[in-house]
Amino acid sequence: MREILLVRFGEVHLKGLNRPQFLRVLVDNVRRAARPFGGRVWLSDSRIYVSDMTDPDACARAVAGVFGIHSVSRAVEMDKGDFSAVCAQAAAMMAPMRGTFKVRARRSDKRYQPDSPGMCREAGHAILEANPQLSVDVEHPDHVLEIEIRDHATLHTGRLEGVGGMPMGTGGKACLLLSGGIDSPVAGYMIARRGVRLMAVHFHSFPYTSQRAREKVVELARLLSVPCGRVELFVAPFTEIQMRIHAQCPEAYGTILMRRQMMRIAERIARREGAQALVTGESVGQVASQTLEALGCTDDACSMSVLRPLIGFDKSEIIARAEKIGTFETSSLPYEDCCTVFTPRHPATHPRLERIREAEALLGEALEAMLDESAAAAEKVVLREGHTEGTEN
Amino acid sequence: MIYLDNSATTRPCAAAVAGARRAMEESWHNPSALYGPAVDAEREMASVRARIARAVGARAQDVVFTAGGTEADSLALLGSAARWRGARRVLLFAGEHPAVLGARAQLEAMGHTVQTFPAGPDGVADLDALSALLDEDVALVSCMQVNNETGAVQPTARIRALMREKCPDALLHVDGVQGFLRLPSALTQTGADLYCLSAHKIHGLKGVGALVLRQGVPISPRVAGGGQERGLRSGTENTCGIAALGAALSWAEEQAGAAQRLREMKLRLYDLLRAGADDLHVNGPDPRADTAAPHILNLSFPGVGGEVMLHALEAEGVLVGTGSACSSKKREMRSAFQAMNAPRWAAESAVRFSLGLLNTPEEMDRAAEAALRCFATYRRCQRRAYARNTAGSLR
Repeated sequence: MREILLVRFGEVHLKGLNRPQFLRVLVDNVRRAARPFGGRVWLSDSRIYVSDMTDPDACARAVAGVFGIHSVSRAVEMDKGDFSAVCAQAAAMMAPMRGTFKVRARRSDKRYQPDSPGMCREAGHAILEANPQLSVDVEHPDHVLEIEIRDHATLHTGRLEGVGGMPMGTGGKACLLLSGGIDSPVAGYMIARRGVRLMAVHFHSFPYTSQRAREKVVELARLLSVPCGRVELFVAPFTEIQMRIHAQCPEAYGTILMRRQMMRIAERIARREGAQALVTGESVGQVASQTLEALGCTDDACSMSVLRPLIGFDKSEIIARAEKIGTFETSSLPYEDCCTVFTPRHPATHPRLERIREAEALLGEALEAMLDESAAAAEKVVLREGHTEGTEN
Repeated sequence: MIYLDNSATTRPCAAAVAGARRAMEESWHNPSALYGPAVDAEREMASVRARIARAVGARAQDVVFTAGGTEADSLALLGSAARWRGARRVLLFAGEHPAVLGARAQLEAMGHTVQTFPAGPDGVADLDALSALLDEDVALVSCMQVNNETGAVQPTARIRALMREKCPDALLHVDGVQGFLRLPSALTQTGADLYCLSAHKIHGLKGVGALVLRQGVPISPRVAGGGQERGLRSGTENTCGIAALGAALSWAEEQAGAAQRLREMKLRLYDLLRAGADDLHVNGPDPRADTAAPHILNLSFPGVGGEVMLHALEAEGVLVGTGSACSSKKREMRSAFQAMNAPRWAAESAVRFSLGLLNTPEEMDRAAEAALRCFATYRRCQRRAYARNTAGSLR
């Protein structure tokens, strides 16, 4: 008899012929999450199992955070030969509980006796005998004891919800525009959860934004690298372009023109690094640059698909998610970010594309070179599993 | 790097570093123990205590070592308030450092009423406003010696005189963190009953401060424990930091005409900046006035955010401070700016140059050049929010 983690996965079931490949990636990712706890990980009968971990609770939490995991249970694995021993174990596991319970049983070994209803009856009887404080309620029980009979018998009483999604690394690579605000880390997380590897671009406007603002963004990327495994952050210099827009273009268009250049630089870096889409934290109507017209003007500047997972979210929903994934506190640090520098007094909320293009033409032919230079000069910071791995220029 | 943020902290002088090192290697024993080396450590600490007492004109036994200026302020305010019977009134200068203003909530929780008195446009406490608040009910008035943002020297002696008329039994607390060693600091000159200082603002180390009491002023401890520092501040004393403070004091005493030298450097910097940019705005008193501390110069560069100037100057190798909290979203003006009712644009574009004894006149020339260069670059591309306010307020 030993303690194990029983790990269930979700959507991977659907993946037809690609399933073996998806599963291999998923098992690798679970293995990585369990490694700090010394856990041994294997796949058997559409379940992933972890054994020999040093801290079962912490290990279960780490595994539940792996993209593609539906739920995790701390379970007892024992020999299935003597079902009365299984019942005794069930009774012992229910001893600390109060209130009502039911037993749910299942056998993949169909020759096993008793059958599933029989297991429920016998185990339920044993639990009641040993624990008079409990009573049965099969409709709305406070506790469910589950017994699964496969090669062994496994018993568990609860499950920790996993984060769901798809195994990291099965969905290609996307480039997140990471500002330092609340929204963009959440957007990145949501796309990453679909199995997409993440890289990020941040725009740095020294001296308008400080070293601390940069550190904050590195910290956000570090936080994202815990579930994502590896995040490459590119910090692109943006001051010159911003100053030029400010000096040469109509004030009301400043923000949209700035965002267009951000998309262009991000696209350059993304293509160079092999990403297939851009990700932003925009949500319709949140600020002037996120009206439908403004979003259209932004999209016009780049040819890559732009994923906006928060597009229909309210701010409060985004904040709740940021709190859940643990980025809210860092995002709330007050350092000025690249988006708030030079905010116009009255930004155009319903810009017309022709007007924006005309205004942009005022930047002259030097613009392309400036964009190339920013993309080329971006400083690369690699973050892996919650650690800063290195910086290169 | 040219370091002009000495009001935030100062670079430890070589003597302080050597003093701390010697204390760590030789007299590191617990000064409360009974054997010889401990007695030596105790004696060394006593000599620093005596030195501070001399500088402030108090008795050595009335110097209480703490872990810094903030703790000294808290001990002064909360420690004396703990002695009062019934609810009393406390008057705080609105421009006080957060070390003092932060005690407000605790004073109120003890049942006392806390009121603030503002500064005039030059950052100097408004004595008429204070006078209107003074009566027999007031148990304590707190006013700093020198404002840490604007360098405005506060009229603490005149406050003492007002108190003598209207509330002779009340205590005067003077936070001397920015004034000690730069201005005359004897209790008879400041009028203080409770005077606080911090070692790292005078080229000593962080983690050491002192509260000096006028003889007979009663306070209660805020920390319970082994009864060190006459029971007023339990905990084994920071002998290394205290030794470094002693060394820094000796070193400072050797610097003949230090305050005058600071003042000359400050005016040199100011004149150079003024000559290159005539629309600079001074936050606080006229730098040449008697009410201006020798080492702090606070200027607004119209149209350029203080933080932008700070970072641009950093890139030029000059480190300075700013006048507003760092945030763009949560823009809170610092208390000094609120106290003198400064316009928001001035607070947001304020840059604080604060000098120390390790600065040189030549550094002032280079800093002024760099600042003028940054100002010229970034004012061309000023943020419109500041510009509009500037136009409205200045022209």
